[in-house]
Amino acid sequence: MNEKPNPSKHDAAWLGDEDHHLIPEPLTEALDRLYTSGPSETSIAAAQIKLDHALKAEEPMVVYYDHVPASPIGAFFVGLSDRGVVALSFEESEERFLTWLQRRSKAAVVREPNKLREVVSQVLDYLEGRRNVFTLAYDLRSLTPFQRDVLTTVQEVPRGKYLTYGELARRIGKPGAARAVGQALGSNPIPILIPCHRVLAADGSLGGYSGRGGVRTKEALLRLEGALQ
Amino acid sequence: MPQQPFETLVEMHRDEIFAYLWRLIPGDQAEDCLQETFLRAFRAYKRTTLDSNYRAWLYKIATNVARTAHTRRQREMTRELHRPVAPEGRTLLDSIIFSENLKVVLQAVEALPHKQRAALMMRKYQEMDYEDIGAALECSPGTARAHVYQALKKLRVRLAGDLERSMEAE
Repeated sequence: MNEKPNPSKHDAAWLGDEDHHLIPEPLTEALDRLYTSGPSETSIAAAQIKLDHALKAEEPMVVYYDHVPASPIGAFFVGLSDRGVVALSFEESEERFLTWLQRRSKAAVVREPNKLREVVSQVLDYLEGRRNVFTLAYDLRSLTPFQRDVLTTVQEVPRGKYLTYGELARRIGKPGAARAVGQALGSNPIPILIPCHRVLAADGSLGGYSGRGGVRTKEALLRLEGALQ
Repeated sequence: MPQQPFETLVEMHRDEIFAYLWRLIPGDQAEDCLQETFLRAFRAYKRTTLDSNYRAWLYKIATNVARTAHTRRQREMTRELHRPVAPEGRTLLDSIIFSENLKVVLQAVEALPHKQRAALMMRKYQEMDYEDIGAALECSPGTARAHVYQALKKLRVRLAGDLERSMEAE
């Protein structure tokens, strides 16, 4: 079929060629009746549930972790799935860290320092002032879409800068949600890597920090980054 | 900046891809096809690059999944041809009186070559430009347009008699 297309005015409108509007005709009407409406609400909901289940089943089977006994802000644990870093925790006891990790990821957890070598070295380089940005993938599947929105937006705040809770709420298109934003930051499973410490209260005070040492750690991180004198 | 989470992609495009699959494959099977599309996408996601056109990429996967499902369905229907045929399972149309006329149009659309049918749906009901349709069908925008045109031409030839008769009846 090599003939040159020479569409009629009906076809030209269909094809989206300029200066033609769809003219009512039997074929268009029949097709519109068949296809315009799209699937029903019920059918969309059923498809969403099926898809969610299928994707959940694809979540990682194993999460690897390691313990770092010493750093400028103390000891910490890190966890890594097949898709990226899932945890950075200042939890004191290994048992409590593992309980928390298993509940979040529903995966088997295996201590495997080799797998974590790159993550640990980037975090230490950062804390010891040899690195400004991380080149790691993060796995935030266990979070709600809102929490992910907040944390993904915080990643855009560079070292040495900071935002207020209200500004962050505006950036994600939810002005007035400053309190919810604060809570979402508190749920950050990978502090330092996702720099939730770069978000402050509107009056310039430090606000909260859920990592070990609380606000003192937050202050130490901001000083390290030169955002505080 | 790390790659955006796969969930974001699902949230952005799930409903539109489902509507597309629904237009290519009836009822329940569209749900299975949606699942299959995003599972394939999920497994391949890490190998994609950051600047990928994810919308067209998802349409490409969905088009392939629909082709397989459609071929399987056609084969089953041929096998069952001499049996009494149950009404089509198009959930949308269950509530409407399914006129003979629409059934003929539906059959004509389903008999189109796969790429032409896919291009027709993307162009008319999925609000895509020829650039993206081409990316989804792995062809140039010009070829994508030709697919839509060929689909229209085939439908007109095939349905010429039926549509005129239905006009007279109304």
